[in-house]
Amino acid sequence: MSSGKSFAVLGLFDTPDALMGAIPQVGAKKLGALEAYTPYPLHGIDDALERRRSPLGGMVLVMGILGAITAFGFEYWISAIDYPIVTGGKAPSSWEAFVPIMFEVTVLFATFTAGLGMLLLLNKLPFFGHPVLSSDAIKAITRDRFALAIESEGEGFDAEAAKAALLAAGATQIEVLPEPDRGPFLTSDYILRVAGGIFAACVVAGLAMYGAVKLFPVLPPMSHMEDQPRLNAQKADPFFKDGFGMRMPVAGTVARGYLPLGVASQDEAASLVNPLPSSPQVLAAGKKIFHNRCELCHGALGNGVPTLTAAYGAKPANLQAQQFRDYPDGKIFWAITMGKNAMPSHAADLTETQRWEVVHYVRALQRAQNATDEDVKEAGTR
Amino acid sequence: MSSDAAIRTGAIPERLLEPPLTEGVVTPGSLDDQVLAFPDRRPPKQWYIGLAITLTALVIGFGFIGYTIATGIGVWGNNSPVFWAFDIINFVFWVGIGHAGTLISAILFLFRKRWRNAIARFAEAMTIFAVMCAGIFPLIHVGRPWLAFWLFPYPNQRGVWTNFRSPLLWDVFAVSTYFSVSLMFWFLGLVPDIASMRDRTTSKVRKTIYTVLSLGWRGAASHWQHYEKAYLLLAGLATGLVLSVHSVVSFDFATSVVPGWHMTIFPPYFVAGAIFAGFSMVVIVLVVVRETMQLKNLITIRHLDVMNKVILGMSCLMGYSYIMEGFTAWYSMNEYLHHTFMNIISGTYGWAGWLTISCNIFIPQLLWFKKCRTSYFWMIFVALAVTVGMWFERFVIIVISLHQDYLPSAWRIYKPTMVDFGVLLGSFGLFFTLVLLFARVLPVIATTEVKAILPGAQPSHHGDDHE
Amino acid sequence: MSQQNRSTTNLLRGTLAIGAVGVVAAFLKAGPERFWANWLLWFVLLFTVGVGSLFIVALEHLVNAKWSVPIRRIPERIATLLIPVVPIGLLAIGALPVLFPGTRPEALHNKILAGKAFWLSLPFVSVRTVIVLALLILGLVVLVGGSLKQDQTRDPAFNIRARKFAPAFMAIFALAITLVAFDWISGLTPEWYSDIFGVYLFAGAFLGGLAATSLAVLHLKDQDRLEGVRKDHLYNLGGFLFAFTVFWSYIGFAQYMLMWYANLPDEVIYFQTRLTGGWHVVTVMLAFLHFVMPFFALVTRDAKGDGSRLRRVAYLMLAAHILDIYWLIFPILPGGPHFSWPEASFALLFLSGAILWVRGALQKGEDMPVGDPFLKEGLEFRL
Repeated sequence: MSSGKSFAVLGLFDTPDALMGAIPQVGAKKLGALEAYTPYPLHGIDDALERRRSPLGGMVLVMGILGAITAFGFEYWISAIDYPIVTGGKAPSSWEAFVPIMFEVTVLFATFTAGLGMLLLLNKLPFFGHPVLSSDAIKAITRDRFALAIESEGEGFDAEAAKAALLAAGATQIEVLPEPDRGPFLTSDYILRVAGGIFAACVVAGLAMYGAVKLFPVLPPMSHMEDQPRLNAQKADPFFKDGFGMRMPVAGTVARGYLPLGVASQDEAASLVNPLPSSPQVLAAGKKIFHNRCELCHGALGNGVPTLTAAYGAKPANLQAQQFRDYPDGKIFWAITMGKNAMPSHAADLTETQRWEVVHYVRALQRAQNATDEDVKEAGTR
Repeated sequence: MSSDAAIRTGAIPERLLEPPLTEGVVTPGSLDDQVLAFPDRRPPKQWYIGLAITLTALVIGFGFIGYTIATGIGVWGNNSPVFWAFDIINFVFWVGIGHAGTLISAILFLFRKRWRNAIARFAEAMTIFAVMCAGIFPLIHVGRPWLAFWLFPYPNQRGVWTNFRSPLLWDVFAVSTYFSVSLMFWFLGLVPDIASMRDRTTSKVRKTIYTVLSLGWRGAASHWQHYEKAYLLLAGLATGLVLSVHSVVSFDFATSVVPGWHMTIFPPYFVAGAIFAGFSMVVIVLVVVRETMQLKNLITIRHLDVMNKVILGMSCLMGYSYIMEGFTAWYSMNEYLHHTFMNIISGTYGWAGWLTISCNIFIPQLLWFKKCRTSYFWMIFVALAVTVGMWFERFVIIVISLHQDYLPSAWRIYKPTMVDFGVLLGSFGLFFTLVLLFARVLPVIATTEVKAILPGAQPSHHGDDHE
Repeated sequence: MSQQNRSTTNLLRGTLAIGAVGVVAAFLKAGPERFWANWLLWFVLLFTVGVGSLFIVALEHLVNAKWSVPIRRIPERIATLLIPVVPIGLLAIGALPVLFPGTRPEALHNKILAGKAFWLSLPFVSVRTVIVLALLILGLVVLVGGSLKQDQTRDPAFNIRARKFAPAFMAIFALAITLVAFDWISGLTPEWYSDIFGVYLFAGAFLGGLAATSLAVLHLKDQDRLEGVRKDHLYNLGGFLFAFTVFWSYIGFAQYMLMWYANLPDEVIYFQTRLTGGWHVVTVMLAFLHFVMPFFALVTRDAKGDGSRLRRVAYLMLAAHILDIYWLIFPILPGGPHFSWPEASFALLFLSGAILWVRGALQKGEDMPVGDPFLKEGLEFRL
């Protein structure tokens, strides 16, 4: 009793029934606020002490809903608004993917509200200065005995009357407790303030970081691949006078494997000589290409009777016509390379060698359609 | 219509009665003297031997973890296409072990199964330790664990956010939430018990530690009121959480299109499997604790019997899932699913498939017999089989599905290395070291909860109960 | 009271007759697809409510629950719905050639269906259905018949027998619900597969059984026939209803999310149908009625023990369960959601019939299992 003023009178009871019996008896005398101290929760004691219901359920519900909204809003804002990237073929705003985290954060908010709200807000724990903790009775209370305390509600607390009331109710042991020691050491308020401060600091630091990187990019500290000091091909760039990012090749540049033909017209091309021998391999290769690319219009025999119907307007050349049979190889080659009339150029699809192979094959077709007796004999000797 | 007179009142046959939850005379005081006295006593020799073994495993394992971090995860057997192997197997395995604790502490609490009170504390502690073990694996699997904080969405100088559509990020949230919630649940339960220890210890150092840890708990009725409400709410929330955590783990697999992974039954099936494996681990540890710490009167054969029944029930659920898996492989007429399923029962790793099926489905059927449910030999045999079987189940899911997928040119056999086994050993070392330390320094039985269900602990009928 | 009872019975008979006329008209006029889809809806619905109630009974025996003993008679009575389900189910075989692509000869030309043609064929589906119904009637006889007999004999031997039988019933139950889910619902779109589907139907069935049980309990309590059944018992019913609302949503969402995420054409078509056109509205409604509303209605502690709220939620849950089955079956009919006189007639016929059946069952015998040795303990149950 350091302060000299008594704060509460505590009576010990041996059984839960004794305690429960004492509560209405002592309560009726209205000597002060009643509080019971028990080693474990007793059924029905809240009603006996006329406690209001715990508000914890409502707090948890509100915080749970808040958690769900926070998590979903955060996920949505990040994935669909602030940093919209399509991953896995899913739309940036695909809500389905946000549900698992939303659920986890809901539970996290709710449990922290339930646990820490109960300890710090409702029970005001930790608190090490309560007189019950330094009383003689505490050993019995946390073990197997039940205590009923009449606590001072301000001025006019009559400790003697309280003692008498508890004894009359059947208390086996009586103790008078001093005022609580409201030392500043590690109280629930202190913890709440510190935690609140840390939280506020984190929010401020986060916002500052976000603002610095996103809104005022004065310092791009770690931009990695985002920002590269080079010119982009196909893009305009003021670095060069002509405003192109890409440079043109020097005049006279020739691509590898694409030497110019050195002739300017089909007539000039007549001078070109087929560099390939007319071997079975060459003819087979030429046949394949002719089959894939030429046959559709010129027909399988090259006679201008196409597999393509008349729906296609242009009239393909009959390669069996005398005019084409008289063509030098070079002029056929020219036609394939540069295209003729409705026929497009095949230069992009066929290499020079392939084109010459086709020329050989066309020659073979022409000869086969206009075969002479000598040809048949020659074939027979092979 | 049915007045009290009409109700049958005769004696209930003994076969229908449940045996009491404690044996012999247990009073709140004797309970404290029995359970809370451990930390004050010198541990027995076996404890030191046990700790030496587990610490050795721990040191070896952490050596291998250090080696992995220093060298890179190329020291593991993982290859292409088996990019996930021991690391993820162990992760899923340990997270699963943790689920039993939450089930016992939360779901059985909501169902008012009072037998849970005596074993809840230990099971909750095992949850926390198991989740710690589990956390190691994804952490070292990221390759650069010192950058693991990049997984959290915070405004950063890189100017990027995390990908919320990735199941792996869901995992980060699920597992860290699970750990925090389990820790809070466990700690809240400990507070009144630590207060009891504070008030009975004679050592000054201990008293100071316990005083701080018990937060000045004084058992006030007004505190108990909020405390009970909080406990109930936490139990409800943890129930939802425990379902979600292993479901999210299963999403890591099931959202993909890998045959053998993409199955809609995965979420509940993973949860059932987790509870299954966790209960087996709890049975193993409880048997040892019960024998070495003289707690036979508090953790009775009935507790073990009920635990074994739960294991049996979970085994049947697993059986249902396996059957559905096989049935779907056929019913879907999907050649890839079919191929994967055939791989499980007859491929290169067919032995692992059959080991899984035998250990998880066939062997636990022994528990239909009461003799097996109440005999140490058989229950330990089954529990060990389930632990092995559940580890291999994850092996089957992960390695078999990955080693042969859509592209035959990429098929490849997976072989674990020494390092893989070393890290696995280390996780067991960590787990059992923590269990041993916990058994020495904290109350292994939730004395407050057991006190509340002892005969005569509650006031006789009160309020509006009877006329 | 009995006067009112009789007038209600007459009213129900009237609606039954109107419904029956409508159903006959539907058979003649509405076309076979529409008729059989409706028939299937009510077969599956009555099956799930009946089997869900029987599951509640078996669960009590399995886990030795005491609190539910005083109200056990009610799910037992509702479970007798399985008796009329047998002829309804056998008649539903008529739907097989009409609605189920797997039973048609064209199925042999479809690569996927040809492989499992035998499984999907009419004879095999019928045999499976007969086996399922027979096994469930066996469960009904053992669990409900035994319990009714115990009223007279007061012999606790029944409790021992029921406890032994309960695990076997769980196996029967798992088989039954899975087969019905795959044969009668999933079989409508035989190319589609989801291995969770049995569990999905289980969640719905359990909710349907719970909702029907809660309604009947509240109804009997209004007539003061369940003396001693208190708020605490209602709280547990509400708690189960809440928990399984969440469970159903969990299963439903997981199934949807996994298919949405993987986006495989053979799977996602199922949700594609249900998320386009008129069905989109139905899907959103289902999520709202089957999850959002009951969840928020029951989330607080007070709500779970509140009789009037529980009644509203139970009505809502039954309606949502009907919608759920409708949502599972009707999208196979072309042209968006149908709701018109054939559906209304079917609802009138089967709802009135089921209510009449359950009312009739509840009039007979004791309202509580008076022979059960644990009845006293159950009545003394407090939270």
